[in-house]
Amino acid sequence: MNFEDIKNEWNAENPEGDSISTDMLKIKQAHTPIDKIRRKMKHEFFYQMFFLVFMALIPSIFGFSALMNKIFLMAYAIICGFTAYYFFKFYAFYKIAYDMSMDTRKNILWFYYEMKLNIELYKALTYIVAFISFGFLTAYVFIEKATIFSRILSNLSPIYILLNCFVTILIIGAITELWAWSYYGKYLKQVKKVVDELDYE
Amino acid sequence: MKETEKIFLSLINQHKAIIHKLSKMYMNGAEEQRDLFQEIVLQLWKAYPTFKGKAKFTTWMYRVSLNTALIYFKKDNRKVDKTPLDENIDIADVSDSADKEEKLAYLYTAVQELNVIEKALVFLFLENQSHREIAENLGISEVNARVKLNRTKEKLQFIIKKNGYEF
Repeated sequence: MNFEDIKNEWNAENPEGDSISTDMLKIKQAHTPIDKIRRKMKHEFFYQMFFLVFMALIPSIFGFSALMNKIFLMAYAIICGFTAYYFFKFYAFYKIAYDMSMDTRKNILWFYYEMKLNIELYKALTYIVAFISFGFLTAYVFIEKATIFSRILSNLSPIYILLNCFVTILIIGAITELWAWSYYGKYLKQVKKVVDELDYE
Repeated sequence: MKETEKIFLSLINQHKAIIHKLSKMYMNGAEEQRDLFQEIVLQLWKAYPTFKGKAKFTTWMYRVSLNTALIYFKKDNRKVDKTPLDENIDIADVSDSADKEEKLAYLYTAVQELNVIEKALVFLFLENQSHREIAENLGISEVNARVKLNRTKEKLQFIIKKNGYEF
């Protein structure tokens, strides 16, 4: 096989095709992993907003006592604060103009670490919201349902309670990791594959 | 139409063969090639403000196009068609120009078995880029570019032979 011949034929080839028109510049949906992740994060923002609005209605739905209302307000404020921080970071990432004209290595590594950072931030936010919600639920049970709860607690051994807490943490962790992986993981995996192929010597 | 848009379209239309060839190299089916072609044009347009004219337009275009092709995510999991070409081509009857087309068709089929970086190496080599230019575009050392390109050429030769064709 003569590569020089192939090269000459390659350079002689002039594929015909329609002219590139202005319409082609107006396509909104891009298909790079970074564009896909940005789109998913945008959807995530709307889900989160819906969740926060729904959460604000919880005290009136469950008819909390004055004390419980104060605890709820604290938990709600913390969740809102963390969510705002995350979405501020995400907005900064969304707005950043990524430079596709960098050399391939720089470009791919930039993609990879930006994506990884955002996925980690996303997981951190999920953990925080889950643990605050769990903490609030515990406070609710201790305060509002104290008599029933203390009766149940008195029948349980400390080891059983500890084991339950541990399993709960494990379940929250597993769900968060699985959710983040199924939602964003395949894009990260694809970019990582290119990084590995580029680094392979 | 805005002036920038006009200039961009004129430049891109002059060099659209680069995008066509790259799309054929990275995607096998006509529909997928068209999708990638559109994606590259879109990314070039989005990145156009970063083109300051310090380097040649084609140098900038190679980088953006290649970076897009490397991380392009297919719209769905359409299967890659790896059917050997010789089932459809009668080699004895083809003219010289058809023979050249056929060689390129075999090349395009064979490169589908390479990974994305190997495709980039072959593409840049066929586009007459030196080892130094290939290294600069990919962000690797010149020695590494040379070694990787030689290995890729050997692999390509093996694939073409394995598919029962020789040129």
